[in-house]
Amino acid sequence: MTDVERFEAFVRTYQDMVFATAVRLLGNPAEAEDVAQSVFVKAFEQFDTIGSSPAAAGWLRTVARNACLNHLSRYRSRWRFFSELGSSDAETDAPFDVAAPGIAGRALEQADERERLEQALRRLPSHQRVPLVLFHFEEASYEDIARMLGISLAKVKTDIHRGREALRKQLETSGYESR
Amino acid sequence: MNPADLERLIDRELRKLPAPRAPRSLLPRIMAAASDTAARPWYTRAWLTWPVGWQLASAVVLMGVVAGTAMLLPQIQAAVTTLTFIADARGEVASSARGFETTTTAVRVLWRTIVAPVVPYAFGLITLMCAACAVFGTALNHLVFGKAFR
Repeated sequence: MTDVERFEAFVRTYQDMVFATAVRLLGNPAEAEDVAQSVFVKAFEQFDTIGSSPAAAGWLRTVARNACLNHLSRYRSRWRFFSELGSSDAETDAPFDVAAPGIAGRALEQADERERLEQALRRLPSHQRVPLVLFHFEEASYEDIARMLGISLAKVKTDIHRGREALRKQLETSGYESR
Repeated sequence: MNPADLERLIDRELRKLPAPRAPRSLLPRIMAAASDTAARPWYTRAWLTWPVGWQLASAVVLMGVVAGTAMLLPQIQAAVTTLTFIADARGEVASSARGFETTTTAVRVLWRTIVAPVVPYAFGLITLMCAACAVFGTALNHLVFGKAFR
């Protein structure tokens, strides 16, 4: 197997994971694709050491997360400003588009609900979505999130709570039942 | 719903979500970008990706530059001090030379414009005065003093 083939296999193995991390943090598939590409180019430059490393997945995830936070940092001042103004409440309280309940079977209905939840997560304002994703998907602590984003611990908790409330409303709107 | 229950509920529901799949366009994009990167010379990439030999060589050169700078710093400072002194001295000499040149130029100009045109006449006048004095003295010697001065 040539180096190109090895790298292609490497990308095929991890592209979904990197893209998922990026799209959930950025909330935008096009930007997530750009970030994923830059992450894999970095991996390519160090492929001799990373390609066969068992820590490749962790390395990719960390690089993807940092790349997303760097990508967001250029908007972070504006993000903080609007967050502090409290305009986010109006934004998150706005109802999400909800499709009519599916009738083609429970599995299809559940898939539909998950898709709506995924979309609801992506539509959260950045100052709620980013800490929420870092907490629930990246398993970062509140303290780590506060340090990564350069904001106070209280603000992290408040933003995550508001994000969860918005998602709960989405769940209730789509007829969530505790399963 | 209290915050702890809300956290558990959202955590459970979010973990049920399937990971978003990368679009089909991502792989070709990455391979094209990797191909471009491979085509670039090694020294245009990040230092960490340089060949090991060049990394070592550049590290040695960097350490040499730092060590050389540290060792030569006192000599450099002394040299700078000396050069400063020489520059100051040169400045003074140059200043004196400029003053001298100004003076000589002024003298030359004065000579050419005022003195030089008069010099032949003055020389002629002085010669005539000397000749007149000599004639007058000789006449006095012959007529008044009876050739007392020989």
